[in-house]
Amino acid sequence: MANSFKYGGYLGQLLRVNLTGKGITREPLMEDWARDFVGGTGLSARILFEELSAGIDPLGPENKLVMMTGPVNGTMIPAASRSSICAKSPYTGSFFHSIFGGYLGPELKFAGYDGLIIEGQANRPVYLWIDDDLVEIRDAGHLWGKDPLRAEKILRKEIGDEEIRIATIGLAGEEKAPYAMILCDIRAAGRGGMGAVMGSKNLKAIAVRGTGSVNVPNMLKVYNTALRLNELVVTNPAIQGLSQYGTPRNVAAMNEGGILPTRNWQTEVFRGMNNITGEAMREQVVKGDRACFACSINCTKYSVVSGGPYKSVINGADYETIYGFGSICEVDNIEVLCKADELCDHYGIDLISTALCIAWAMECYQKGIFTRKDTGGIDLKFGNASGMLQMITKIGKREGLGALLAKGTRTASQIVGRDTYRFAIQNKGLEWPGHTCRPFPAAAVGYATGPRGGSHHDIRPTAEKSGLVDRKILEGKGALAAEVNHWLILTDSMLLCHLGEPLWGPLQISANTIEALNAVTGWELDYEGARKIAERQWNMIRCFAAREGFTRENDQLPVRFMEEPIPEGPMKGSYIPRETLERLKDDYYAYRGWDRKTGNPTKEKLVELGLDFAVDDVC
Amino acid sequence: MARVRVKTFSVIRDVLGSDVVEVDVAGPETMGGLFKALRDRYGLPFTDKIWDRNTGEMAAFLIKLNETIISSTSDMDRKIQDGDEIAFIFPIGGG
Repeated sequence: MANSFKYGGYLGQLLRVNLTGKGITREPLMEDWARDFVGGTGLSARILFEELSAGIDPLGPENKLVMMTGPVNGTMIPAASRSSICAKSPYTGSFFHSIFGGYLGPELKFAGYDGLIIEGQANRPVYLWIDDDLVEIRDAGHLWGKDPLRAEKILRKEIGDEEIRIATIGLAGEEKAPYAMILCDIRAAGRGGMGAVMGSKNLKAIAVRGTGSVNVPNMLKVYNTALRLNELVVTNPAIQGLSQYGTPRNVAAMNEGGILPTRNWQTEVFRGMNNITGEAMREQVVKGDRACFACSINCTKYSVVSGGPYKSVINGADYETIYGFGSICEVDNIEVLCKADELCDHYGIDLISTALCIAWAMECYQKGIFTRKDTGGIDLKFGNASGMLQMITKIGKREGLGALLAKGTRTASQIVGRDTYRFAIQNKGLEWPGHTCRPFPAAAVGYATGPRGGSHHDIRPTAEKSGLVDRKILEGKGALAAEVNHWLILTDSMLLCHLGEPLWGPLQISANTIEALNAVTGWELDYEGARKIAERQWNMIRCFAAREGFTRENDQLPVRFMEEPIPEGPMKGSYIPRETLERLKDDYYAYRGWDRKTGNPTKEKLVELGLDFAVDDVC
Repeated sequence: MARVRVKTFSVIRDVLGSDVVEVDVAGPETMGGLFKALRDRYGLPFTDKIWDRNTGEMAAFLIKLNETIISSTSDMDRKIQDGDEIAFIFPIGGG
């Protein structure tokens, strides 16, 4: 079956595992779905729209977890190692895609599958073992309760193969904590509670070994494309910074520009920044560089704190760790941040949500809403490293205040009341990454309308942050946000890494992206053809949300960004007042051909994109 | 001639060898003149960090001129003066 698929880069086969009935089936990938939705997030959205009913319990057996690759995975194209894990999110209540790098996606293809659909619910803990054609649901009683790295180690020994690739959940996933993540080799599917969905199925791990390969129609063409793209990787200064310092390359520059979120976003300038930059990290803790499959960027930093209270070994820290546990909690010690990262991996919790929940609690403490009695005796002031680390453990174990914080800032602020939602830095329930929108209107409308809420992978502020476009002008920002959406969703479907942004974006789908897709698949897409696929993918996800009841009203920003200007620094005074956001939303919906009142796709738009089947559910 | 202090980060800082360097801009006393002075002093390693080797295009990034934010894409004619403090807000991509 694999070699007879019409398009290059695909295996032509999906693996479906029903954990309730222990059924394992292989089914052909439909050619028209591959052509219309490509793979990864786009294809997963199509599958889940088809197979899930509106209103299902995300943590019930009726939800499905889809791990999908893309046509470019497993080839020599650089920055193309990623995979998507998608489901209805228990955290946001709609379709969610959590993307991870590493090696698992390519390995799944080498085993002969474009994707994996997991459905039902096992009656006891299990793990899935995929060894080319051999697929087994195995007992995981001995792994349950183990942290992800420990479980991985046991599996490698048990299977007797160091080369297997593994996705594992931790304690948080087992207990269906709303923002539990899945650890995948050196990276993680961190966001949106995909670990909770996996845990709800009593699925502890997925282990994969593949010995096959990926066919392409013209190897020389793929080779030449990969060679050219690798040259761009090597010569692009922004990417060079990634190789040297990892994602924290930008910490110092962002602080200088007054856009380093600090003290739960009360300000965007951090005076302790010098100790937590990429440069400081390289000097103090980085021991080596690691790369995902076939990637020449090497952005993952292997860091070791060899002794003392913060002894830890991690693949990181990434920028989001530095932002979340550093400037946002005002902790200026890189060793502490490494320990915080390690603790999140240990419990299997999303570090961005964890950090923002702690920062929210710190602000509650700062304002006298929480006292030591609430915190279990912890002096939870901003900058207290020990208190922050203790709170991570409490969240991981859901003990004391940690049980409240494990619900996320949206729910926690609803429970606590007293206007604490005003400084819950989330939208659609998802806590924010470390990229501001207050000075950047296109980023603002992109975040507000994004399917996941606080995700910097539904919108990138790079165009405005770099001066490529004038950040002060509102006109045209709806269009810019939509075109940035398009390059992001297409690359999340091919499964290209967004850290290769200079190659794949940053303003719209780039010629490099189209060249890579055409080289691997044998397609002859031009810009309009690629853009139409991306638009279809984006609308498919919006249809899923609309079917769940999402409307224009859900397209909001955290209250702080609409009410509180940045108080200091070069971006002082910047914010996005509500009326500005509403105007930007009008602009965005109009550009997309969506209904201005509901913010959802119109019948005409769905028919234009070949999404007729969704009309009855959406319009 | 204007003597200015230039602050850089990451791979550009690595080329300049220090967080902050003092640069004499002999003329024109503009942002464009500053970049020419930096190219003259640091040569190809600096040029490669700012200009695309293939297209010759200058990278887009924000620049802090004292407390004002300007852009590499539109402000090369901006006047600079003796004592100005200038920072290149670069690189700036996401995590």
